[in-house]
Parts: sequence; C-alpha cells; structure tokens
Amino acid sequence: MSMRLMIVGLALVASFGLSRGLEAEPLRITIEEGIIEPLPIAIPDFQAETGEAGQLSRDIARVVAQDLTGTGLFREIPASAFISTVSDFGAAVQYADWKAINAQALVTGAVSVTGGNVNVKFRLYDVFSGAELGAGLQFSGTTEGWRRMAHKVADEVYSRITGEGKYFDSRVVYVSETGPKDDRKKRLAIMDYDGANVQFLTDSSSIVLAPRFSPDGNRILYTSYESGFPRIYVLDIGSVQRRVLESGEGTMSFAPRFSPSGQTVVFSLTTGGNTDIYTMDIASGQTVRLTNTPSIETAPSFSPDGNQIVFESDRSGSQQLYIMSSTGGEATRISFGAGRYGTPVWSPRGDLVAFTKQNAGRFHIGVMRLDGSEERLLTASFLDEGPTWAPNGRVIMFARETQGEGGASSLYTVDVTGRVLKPVRTPEGGSDPSWSPLQK
Amino acid sequence: MNTGHVISGVGHIGLIGWMFLGGFINPQPTPFEVTEVAVISGAEFQAMIDARQAPAEITETAQPAAPVVTPDAPEVDAEPEPAEPETPPPVPEVAEETPQEPPTPEETPVPEVSEVAPEAPEPPAEVTVETPEVAERPVERPADRIAPTPAPAPEEDVRPSETAEPAVTPEDTGETVEPPREAAVVPEATDRTVTEADESPKAAVTASRRPPARRPEPPAPRRVAETPTPAAPTESDTDAAVQAALDSALSSATADVPTGPPLSSGEKDALRLAVQGCWVVDPGAQSAGVTVTIAMSMEQNGTVVQSSLRMIGSEGGDAGAVDAAFQSARRAILRCQKGGYDLPADKYGQWQEIEMTFNPERMRIR
Repeated sequence: MSMRLMIVGLALVASFGLSRGLEAEPLRITIEEGIIEPLPIAIPDFQAETGEAGQLSRDIARVVAQDLTGTGLFREIPASAFISTVSDFGAAVQYADWKAINAQALVTGAVSVTGGNVNVKFRLYDVFSGAELGAGLQFSGTTEGWRRMAHKVADEVYSRITGEGKYFDSRVVYVSETGPKDDRKKRLAIMDYDGANVQFLTDSSSIVLAPRFSPDGNRILYTSYESGFPRIYVLDIGSVQRRVLESGEGTMSFAPRFSPSGQTVVFSLTTGGNTDIYTMDIASGQTVRLTNTPSIETAPSFSPDGNQIVFESDRSGSQQLYIMSSTGGEATRISFGAGRYGTPVWSPRGDLVAFTKQNAGRFHIGVMRLDGSEERLLTASFLDEGPTWAPNGRVIMFARETQGEGGASSLYTVDVTGRVLKPVRTPEGGSDPSWSPLQK
Repeated sequence: MNTGHVISGVGHIGLIGWMFLGGFINPQPTPFEVTEVAVISGAEFQAMIDARQAPAEITETAQPAAPVVTPDAPEVDAEPEPAEPETPPPVPEVAEETPQEPPTPEETPVPEVSEVAPEAPEPPAEVTVETPEVAERPVERPADRIAPTPAPAPEEDVRPSETAEPAVTPEDTGETVEPPREAAVVPEATDRTVTEADESPKAAVTASRRPPARRPEPPAPRRVAETPTPAAPTESDTDAAVQAALDSALSSATADVPTGPPLSSGEKDALRLAVQGCWVVDPGAQSAGVTVTIAMSMEQNGTVVQSSLRMIGSEGGDAGAVDAAFQSARRAILRCQKGGYDLPADKYGQWQEIEMTFNPERMRIR
C-alpha cells in the first residue's frame, strides 16, 4: 500500500515537473534577412478647417509627401487607390480600408488659417497595428512659413517611423553659379534643404568659396577674394552684416569651419609657401598653429565633440586623410586606398567621415569609419566634390560638375547607403554646399 | 493549466494502470514464506553468497569480448572504407538540405512570375535569366501582388506518395498527414511575392514528414465523486481516492491544447520565411544595428494575439533606434500573418508562445 502511494506521489511530482518544463519553452525563431523596399504610406490631402486654408492644406500635404518619398524610404500610395476618405480630422480611422491597399502608415492632418497665421495639426497611424504612432501634434506660424510647418510634420513622421534624426526643416548655404566656365559668376545663396526659398547673401562682384554654417545656424563663414587675396569672413544671416577675420599680411586664409562650440574657427593659412592648419578664437582673434610640416595641410573638420580634427595632407607624398587632436600634435592617417582623398567632413553622428576621392580619372563621394575601415564610395562621375552632412548624419549633399565647355555645377544629395541619389533643384547652378543644423 | 500537465498526467496514469493490470503491482499480497527463510543456516547462507559472487567473475570475462571486438572489426576492414564515409557526407548533406530550402531560394524568383515553376526542366533556363535582375536592384523590387492562384503543381508531386502511404500508415493516424500538405500549398499563392525567399521555402517545407507522435489521445475527463464516503477506508476506496487525486491534479491542466512533437526545422523555416518577407530593413539606419527579440502569443488558427506583442530584449542602438527596430519587426509580424501563419494545428502547444529575434546584422551596410 505504502509502495503504491509512493509511486503515485512520484508520478505526480514527475508529471508536474515535466509539465512545468514544457510550459516554459516558447518556440524561438531568429530572422536575419529582411527586404529592402520603400514603406507604403498614405498621405491624403489635409483637411481645410477654414475657407482660406483650401489650397494650403493640399500644398502642405504635397510637401510632406515629397519630403518623405525623397528619402527613398517611403512610397506614397496615390489618392486614386484610397478606399476610404478622411473627411474629418477627428474621425476614427477605418484601418481595414487602409490595410486593403497595403498602406503601412497613414498621415492625416488639418489646416486652419486666421489672418496671417496658419495652424497645422497632424496624426500618424500605424495601420497594421491599428493604433496611432505617437501623439498628434500641431504647429503654428505665418502663412509665409507654411513650408517649414510642412517640413516639421514630415520630420515627425520620418523620425517616428525610421528612428532616425530629423533633417527636413533645415537650410543649405551654397555658392550659386551662373555663366560659362571661363567667366562664372559666384555669389552666396541660402535655401531650404529641398531647393525652395532661395535667397542671395552676396553679389557676384568677387569670388566666394566654401561657406560654412555655424553650429547655431545664425552665422556663416566663407572665403572671399574681395581684397585680391583669399580672406575669411563671418556673415550674420539675420542682418547680412559681415566682418573679416584678420590674418597676417601676405598670408592667405581659407577652408574655415566652426568648432562645435561656435567660438573657434579652424582654417588653413598659407604663409611663405607653406600651408598649415590653425585655430582662431573669434572673439579675441588669437590664433594657434596646429600643424607644422612642409607639406600642405588643409580642409580641417571638427569631430562633433570638438576633441579631434580630420584633415587632408600630402605629407606621405599623396593626398590622404588624417586625424589629430584639436590641440594639434601627432596625426594618424586613416585613408589608405588608391587615389587621392580630400575635403573630409566629420558626420554629425560621429561615426563616419565623408570625403571626396579622385581615382582613375573619376571623382567619388564616399564615407569611411574613423579608423579608415569600411570605405564606401557612394557616387562616381566626372567631378563630384564638397560633401556636407545633413543634420541627422544620414544624407550627404555635394556638388557635381558635368564635363565639357558647357559643363555646369549643380547640387545633389545621396544617402549613406548610396541607394538614393537625386538632384537638388536650384534656380541656378550650385557648388560648395553647407548644410545647416536643424532649425529650432 | 497547460498541455504539459495533461501529457505527463495521461502518461503516468497509463503507466500506473499498466503496472496494475500487468501484475507488477498485485493488489493481492503474495504469500509470505517466512518460515523457509528462517530455516536457512549460516553455512547455506555463505554458500548462497559464494554462488552469487561466482557469476560476477564470469561477467568480467564476458565484458571484454563483446564491446571490444565490434569496434576493432570495422577498423580492420575499413581502411578503404573510412574514405567512403568521408565522401558521402556531401551527398547526405545535400539530401538533407533539399527538403529544407537552400536550393529552392535560388529558384524562387522564377515562380514569382508563373506558377509553373515546379516543373523540373524549365527552371534552370529561367533561373539564369532572372537571377541578375534580382541582383541588380534589390531596392526597386516592385513587390506587386499576384492574383491568388493556388499552384496545383506541388500537389501533384506530392500525391504520388499516396500510393506509398498504405505501407506507412499501418500505425495510427495516416490520415492526419495528408491535410497539412494540402493546407501548406494554399497560402503560398496568396502572399505577396516580395522576395525569392518567400516562395521557395514554402514549396520545400510542407508538413512534417515525421510519423505522427505516438501520443495517447487525451482521455475523456473522468469525474470522481467529490464527496468521499465517510465509511472505513478499504483498499478499493484508497485506490479510488488516489485516482481521484490524480484526476483532480491533472484536470487542472488544460485539456484541449494539442502539443505534438516539436516543430520540424522545415516548419520553423516556413514561419521564419513568412515573416522575413515582410520585414523591411533600412540598411543605412541606426536601427539596422539593433537586434530585438519580440514575444507573442498565438491563436490556434495561426494569428497573432496583437496585444501580446512585446519586446523582451534588445541589443545595440539608442532608444530611438530600438523603438524603430521594434516597430519594424512588429509591422512585419502583423502584416504577413494575413489570415494566420501556416503552422501545424496538431502542434499548437509547441507554438502557442513564440519568441522571435530580428537580427539585421547581415543586412547592415559596411
């Protein structure tokens, strides 16, 4: 009797233990390959909540769509495919209708205009989850600034879905070019990141080069031949007032760039036939020499933390990229591939360096890691040069010049994968772009 | 209350019952022979011990004979043979892989155009033409949908096996093997033809070819009177009480969840491929450096319990990148389930809870 009870007890214990073991084991699957394709998104025209907002509500939705599809990461579903319409911003979304047309995300919005003010609100829905993705937001501004509000909506959508930083609400300063190659007129211009709202900051009476935004986006450094020699100027965008950064007599200064703090400028100075890298405190004008070699050191660019500088030098016999401390000292070479490397720019993310490469008769825009590894050439053409990073470190703008006497320079963007390459539409030709930080 | 309880409970009840019925545990006490034991003298006892020790020595001599010889024999004959086993491995490897997928993914781009793919002679020519297209622009892949036209061809290939089934079915449930095969073909035509990886595995991976588990069917719930009679406990009453305790303990487990054997690698691959066909990865994004693990509960019809989707782990990236990676993975799971993932219903207990890890490492740009 006791033996049977013992057996039964053991059986119960064993069964319980066994069942517990089975219960605790879910099916485990690992997925290592996905697909690369644009995410289908539906962006119906925004609702016009006031009579004056009719055209604006459609225009804003179009700019939002252009921003998103321009990244190559989204594909807009045409309105003709819509099953349900969004007649009220506050109405419940019919997810089944959007699922049926394979929309993975839906953006709805409404626009109201009172006087000269515009109010734009939007919501983003994850269709297959059947839920809103983040909270709805609204922006207010003037009717003249409606494109900025559209960019801000697009930034929110882009950032929430991709996890990447925003960059649509930003500007670019560049050198606008007109005329033939032997008599090209150049002047500074500023525009929205997508080429809209171009404004000229200087006239074309003298050559201007290499404009660079300050970290706060309020000032611009650039090089001008106004005095006959290249000199560095600081331009206040709001007042369009400028002043020259003094350098010694008989010297040439160029290739300036702000430090992340905005208080220091790093630049190249040629004196006595030798070019080296210096820093200058903008307030005091005090300069510090960072390199001292007989070779040419130029095109310096700060790391985002301000502790290091990447630059180009021909000290090895060919033009290569180097990294050194922001206080100078020993430099480490990071480029070792065939050809010549130049104009390095540190990514705002801090993980990559963009550069121009000339090899085998072609120019490339490329990126590499800080140790020179994982070099990727993103473009190839007759002449590509002057890369500048978008604020999120995901897209690079550069200048491309076509071959021949009638060749012209224009601006392009390419993302870090090299998959999305497209021209930036500007009223005239363009070169030497510099991307601003995200606008506040 | 779960499947595990039921399985183990039923198994042990069966075991205990068998022990009772088979006489290992005889309810009637065996006759005692105490008197005979008491009669044994010390000399007899010593003789008995000696007798037991003797056979122990014999076993020692027998031990070296059997095991040692068998390993030696093959070595002598087989000096040429070891080379053979080395060469065959490649063959078996291929044979093992074919039922899974590796060869099929290459052919998938072909079937996405026409459903005639299964025919043997045609694929090679078509494959050579279409492969470069896919390689050139993985990005621009149109990802159009194909009208839901079920592909009958695979079924034809499978059906000849029905003739062999009589020989296989002698066991219990030969019938259950057929339905999953047919069911596995249907969803193949309804999914989006996004990648080559989508269709080929489905064609290759059908239902498990293993014989159905020799798992006893869950017994009808036996209810024992809950109010025990206060009468003096007899042996039969004790047995009943024990049985009742067992039943009540086991009845706490859920009775309707079929568990079956673990999913075959083919069945797991089918699920993996179904989800990865909807997993959109942006190789340039910071989220491409994030690995996320998502847990979910499944309905018996193969659909995901949406509210159960949750991230249980992540590696790499900042909070924004992790969230984007999670959202992307969640969209993939929900979007590709359609009417439910094609999972074997008789193994529901094995996939009732799923943990899916999305690792984009291989897709990240370098």
